[in-house]
Amino acid sequence: MERRDFIKISALSGVMATLEGCRSAEKQLIRFVPEEELVPGIATWKPSVCTLCSAGCGLLVRVMQGEAEVVRRGQQGLIKMGLAKKLEGNPQHPINRGKLCARGQAGLQVLYHPDRITHPIKRTGARGSGEFQEISWDDALKELAAHLTTLQTSNSANALAFLARPLHGQRHELVERFLKAYGAPPAVWYQPFDEAVLRQANLLSFGHAALPTFDLGRADYVISFGADFLGTWNSAVAQSIGYGEMRQGRPGRRAKFVQVESRMSQTGANTDEWIPCRPGTEGALALGIAHVILSEKLAPQGAGSRAGSLIAGWSAGLPDFTPEAVEKQTGVSAAVIKRLAHELTQSGSAVAMVGGAPLAHTNGLFNALAVNALESLVDAGRDQGQILGFTPVLQPAIPAQASLASLTAFAQSALSGQPHAPQVLLLYEANPIFSAPPGLRIREALAKVPTIVSFGNFIDETSAQADLILPDHAPLESWLDSMPESGSLQAVASLAPPAVLPLHDTRSMPDVLLGLAHQLGGEVAKALPWATYDAMLRAAYVPLRTRGGSVDAKTDDDFWDAAQTQGGWWSTPSTAHSPEVAVAKHAPVSPAAPEFAGAAGDFPFYFLPYVSQSFGDGSLAHLPWLQELPDVLTSAMWSSWVEINPKTGDRLGIKQGDLVEIASPQGSVRAAAVLSPGIAPDMVAMPVGQGHENFSRFASGRGANPLSILAPLAEHETGSLAWAATRVKLVRAGGPEQAKLVLFAGGMSAFPHQEERR
Amino acid sequence: MAHKWGMVVDLDRCTGCEACVVACHAENNIPTVGEDQAARGRAKHWIRVERYWEGDFPNPKIRFQPVLCQQCDEAPCEPVCPTYASNHTPEGLNSQVYNRCIGTRFCANACPYSVRFFNFYNPQWDMPLQLQLNPDVSVRSVGIMEKCTFCVQRIKAAEIQAEAEKRELKDGEFNTACAQSCASKALVFGDLNDPNSEVARLSSSNRGTKLLGELGTKPNVTYLERGTWEDASHG
Repeated sequence: MERRDFIKISALSGVMATLEGCRSAEKQLIRFVPEEELVPGIATWKPSVCTLCSAGCGLLVRVMQGEAEVVRRGQQGLIKMGLAKKLEGNPQHPINRGKLCARGQAGLQVLYHPDRITHPIKRTGARGSGEFQEISWDDALKELAAHLTTLQTSNSANALAFLARPLHGQRHELVERFLKAYGAPPAVWYQPFDEAVLRQANLLSFGHAALPTFDLGRADYVISFGADFLGTWNSAVAQSIGYGEMRQGRPGRRAKFVQVESRMSQTGANTDEWIPCRPGTEGALALGIAHVILSEKLAPQGAGSRAGSLIAGWSAGLPDFTPEAVEKQTGVSAAVIKRLAHELTQSGSAVAMVGGAPLAHTNGLFNALAVNALESLVDAGRDQGQILGFTPVLQPAIPAQASLASLTAFAQSALSGQPHAPQVLLLYEANPIFSAPPGLRIREALAKVPTIVSFGNFIDETSAQADLILPDHAPLESWLDSMPESGSLQAVASLAPPAVLPLHDTRSMPDVLLGLAHQLGGEVAKALPWATYDAMLRAAYVPLRTRGGSVDAKTDDDFWDAAQTQGGWWSTPSTAHSPEVAVAKHAPVSPAAPEFAGAAGDFPFYFLPYVSQSFGDGSLAHLPWLQELPDVLTSAMWSSWVEINPKTGDRLGIKQGDLVEIASPQGSVRAAAVLSPGIAPDMVAMPVGQGHENFSRFASGRGANPLSILAPLAEHETGSLAWAATRVKLVRAGGPEQAKLVLFAGGMSAFPHQEERR
Repeated sequence: MAHKWGMVVDLDRCTGCEACVVACHAENNIPTVGEDQAARGRAKHWIRVERYWEGDFPNPKIRFQPVLCQQCDEAPCEPVCPTYASNHTPEGLNSQVYNRCIGTRFCANACPYSVRFFNFYNPQWDMPLQLQLNPDVSVRSVGIMEKCTFCVQRIKAAEIQAEAEKRELKDGEFNTACAQSCASKALVFGDLNDPNSEVARLSSSNRGTKLLGELGTKPNVTYLERGTWEDASHG
């Protein structure tokens, strides 16, 4: 698609904010196409940024005039305004180059969701009762400011806590500066599936504490250990673009793709060869392959020695990892191990990657280091450098601390009062009541915090505990910025003004914090001298002007306008590698077997809760397009299910669609059984995302939440949640009419549950 | 020469991500039907990704196959429509004229690809989700059949624009919603009558087959076979 007149300049440049206390900054500084410029029926395309996962893809938003029913100053009425109609990938954006994934497409429904919180509310009933009443922004802000000043004056600034899902770009910076200047502990950045293990492994193996970027379009052989790189892992759209190229983008040259995992994922479905491997032994398998390469000298002398030196026994040729020994550990035959070693080293450009379940074990770091060692052995840069690379860093690296560790520390401080009990909790779109292991006692911990204020724009299990809610704008109504950590070898700093006017009486969370900072004065005001978020963004972005790259501007003002128009700034493509970080010497890691919660006798099945193609970590279950999207492997819609091997089904008398109960030492859940050949007989798997007790009309009370039965086991070194380390038992609990599995595939029968369907 | 719209689906590139499915919903005002109606087989996915499992653990194989209206030259849905709501356009599209449709559903009955969907109820959008609706696409009411149109609204808009600018349409100038979002470029849309178009080039690939071609429907969607282990070349 040509961009010719699809993007109009949307910024009213040169309008600066003034620091007038009471007037809403929104009325002075809203940057989008003025209503009078919208011709009915003619679309304007605005740049934006997708915030639904950490990939940070660039968007184009189709904005057209329409009429919306809104409430303004207590009055209901109609307003002509630009409405967002469709999201597309921004063809110029280096990460996704005009493409967009299923979840990114569905993100449009966040903006017009019927259950968005439309104005500030204050709790009137008991916590969790759902009884709130509307209050004005003035009153809400007064109350919030009062809480914060009270803490300061009573010398308890360290009793302020901030719990949020990891934020992109300058929002992260804003929150950290605010807390530091205020005297509060650093924010608790929490998400259930974090990448602390991989970042730590990459730091040790390659000198970059970051997620990797792959140039798959140059690959001849890809072996992935557990990474759902075409679905939910890392920068899936960028990786999918490369995948298409490596398959059919180069006449006469088609890459081979091998996936090693314990349950067939959407990515694994696309392989030339699928290799099931015992859970937690993926690292051993990688070392078995490396052993063959080393012993038969299939790679150049000294290849892989840096990453290999992190593995005990590498320089001796990994004597403990003969193919026969590895076969015993992993279940993968010695013949296959030998063959893979030969194929990897004889296939041109090869790459080995690791992600997902192998890292979510107690020995996750070992598994990652092992695969990294194999990768460095085989991705030796035969032509034009390596396939695995790292995005140049524009901002300080994301701290490698695992979400679980910092969340646990927070919960402990609330439960025990040590080292100090949090008095005021600011919450932003983190939902640990839903996603954290029950062993952390999050619900109990939050009940002990006297004041909880949420900025999120939906009620979910966690924000339902808030006393005060100051709803943020939807992403498309906000200034958005992000500096993706992976997906492109160009440094990328995405930037976009709001694509549409706010629909409801919401306020930008960064603007609220900046206003508070100004009100609090002192160190906090000094640390955050901007009245509005876009002023802060401007200060952060204009220094990029002198770095060349995609924006050619002579003045800061021109740069600021042009960067917004393009959707950001990115560096020119270059073959220069981004500099490595010096790392203290790490002792070679000895192999560790994975540990599991639940004795194998009582809990005979490995349990795999996997990140869902539809809902991610569950934070997208409120979007109806995604609820009705048929899961690609099962065609299930609006449902939860448990994948079990057909032989297991036979053995336990479980038929397709039956209700089953799976129980761990932590609890149990029930869902429909789906018989799948893509899972081992000693394993059961369940997608994450359903089982919300409270998350909009579309997700509330629907399905079951596999995260609710996870043991709080952690990866040994990083403290990251070992979400693949829980064992369960499985029994039939009822028939299909109780399980209510809804499938898209199958017949058009009026009573679908009564039929056997695959 | 008149345009003839067609598509290629490269099964070796398709990853099963279903971006196409959601993109189509967003572009074409397809209503979600909810759990109960979905359980009755009434969900409307104009494009869907099918999966075919073969074999058992530890060697299961699965293939993905996106299926959408094939815009057949000999469309079985056309002769059975009593009101000529399902008809063929000069540019090779099977067009569904909503206001002629009286809901006999013979067309869906006749279609071997199961790509036609009926509105059993008036669609509903919980306010304000309706603000997202695309003004270029009609919202179908109860009793109307609907299906993939190859984003005919985009085709028309591009044709009008090209005519206003007194020039030919260029290949790749516009795209269907599904193909536009497809990251691996498995879906390719364009003018089969343009010898230089990507879709024309790929349609003549020796990997090409037609879905249920033996039925004589003459589909205008060509499927390129998924590769195998042996197809990969050695570097």
